[in-house]
Amino acid sequence: MSGGEPGRVSPGRAVLGAAGVLLTAYGVWLLLSRQDLERNLDVALWLAGGVLVHDVLLGSVVIVVSLLATRLLPAVARPAAGAGLVVLGSLTLLAVPFLGGFGRENAPDNPTLLDRDYTAGYLVLVATVIIVVVLPVLLHSLRARREQR
Amino acid sequence: MTAMPTVRETSHLRSAAVAARVGRWLGICFGIAFLTGLVSHYAQNPSQPIPFPTSPAWGYRLTQGLHVTTGIACIPLLLVKLWSVLPLLVRGLPADWAGRARDGAERASIAVLVSASVFLLVTGLLNSTQWYPWDFSFRRSHYALAWVATGALLLHLAVKLPTIREALGRDVDDTALDRPGAVARGGLSRRGLLRSTWVAAGLAVLATAGSTVPWLRRVSVLGVRSGDGPGGVPVNRTASAAGVVESAQSPAYRLVVGYAGTTVSLTRDDLLAMPQRSEGLPIACVEGWSASAVWTGVRLRDLLDLVDAPRGAEVEVTSLQERGAFRATLLQENFADDDRTLVALALSGEPLDLDHGYPARLIAPNRPGVLQTKWLSRLEAVT
Repeated sequence: MSGGEPGRVSPGRAVLGAAGVLLTAYGVWLLLSRQDLERNLDVALWLAGGVLVHDVLLGSVVIVVSLLATRLLPAVARPAAGAGLVVLGSLTLLAVPFLGGFGRENAPDNPTLLDRDYTAGYLVLVATVIIVVVLPVLLHSLRARREQR
Repeated sequence: MTAMPTVRETSHLRSAAVAARVGRWLGICFGIAFLTGLVSHYAQNPSQPIPFPTSPAWGYRLTQGLHVTTGIACIPLLLVKLWSVLPLLVRGLPADWAGRARDGAERASIAVLVSASVFLLVTGLLNSTQWYPWDFSFRRSHYALAWVATGALLLHLAVKLPTIREALGRDVDDTALDRPGAVARGGLSRRGLLRSTWVAAGLAVLATAGSTVPWLRRVSVLGVRSGDGPGGVPVNRTASAAGVVESAQSPAYRLVVGYAGTTVSLTRDDLLAMPQRSEGLPIACVEGWSASAVWTGVRLRDLLDLVDAPRGAEVEVTSLQERGAFRATLLQENFADDDRTLVALALSGEPLDLDHGYPARLIAPNRPGVLQTKWLSRLEAVT
């Protein structure tokens, strides 16, 4: 899927692509001209690290969880498990800096920063997802199976 | 399609139909985050060819709230988007050299897009919780990579436009654009996956937006701020972190107002003896939280009149802080002349808390929180 027929690019697409290349080049110039090399090496590390953590670490976890789910779960429960994985997986990643409370270490004297009970909040979120996403999908699958019989 | 699948990846969910639909919302959210980010950087720029407006007072609160909220919504959207196109990462190489060159160029542009996007979302999220496990400047790097990501996104759109058009024009369950062999079903349907993705993005927003949307405060279990704080307003940087605990409470404290060699030194009592005004103005932090409150103090214009500074003068604002990027800031002329701009001495009817900038702080309409200088020591009008 390399996008349309090569060799025949409309003027609109060509302008869009050229604008994209210019904007990217401007961003690279901004990065290199406003920060010393040592800091930019750290940026490069985070750029590469983000992709590696996503593609390798997170990718493997998702593959293993999906495999386990297809092996262990009855077919009727798989759509609910899939929906649960999408919603809870992404919300759990979002919750990491809150659950860890790492920002508080930089500002130990600021009681107004990260000032909620995030463990309780996360558990409420998990319960909400199970009630509004996982259970309805499961019930839908069960009903569909009963109708098929 | 000359690519050969090198791993057995057969899920019918990983398809152009899903990628285009998630990508559409991801692109919209990225676009809003990019534009509101530009607004925020412009508002913080000391030199503004087009003056940043002072009205509406809640303008920056809205744009920066949108910036962080759309960024948060992108987290589930990007995860599902990348998952849906994973087979393209492990596809085989085309047989001919021209095809390989094209394939390599496209892969390189996608690598730039993905790495910059992940970087923006991760650093933005961590920054909103004030966690900085890196050595680079967040502000500069996040800004530069926003241009990189937006450029790479436009290029990606240019390359994929025919596929996107076709995928969005067909039914989501249409298989015409699918990879060969991508027929495995049994789990979620495509509609189910899309619905789950929208729910994930919606819940991510609801769980965090309460830091800037007051009526969501109770439900935002992952808000960076509950909204509590002295005078009902959270604190970004405390007096002890800024190193001003002693100087701010010293009996020798004076606010110096100057223009063209004339200076006036005022104690807090002198300021309290001047006509007091109250304004309801939001404090909106670049990190995305905001709160509205009633501030009371002396109108900045009244102070400038003490030293005969003319209208249209800019004001160099200096804090008692000895370090920090925002120790000294520039207040542009339209902010200096706006009647709502105050040197605040009280918040919500109570004397200003030390952490809110006691003895005196600047508060102006439609201005990023970092520029609402606390612990004022000097106001110098310049023309």
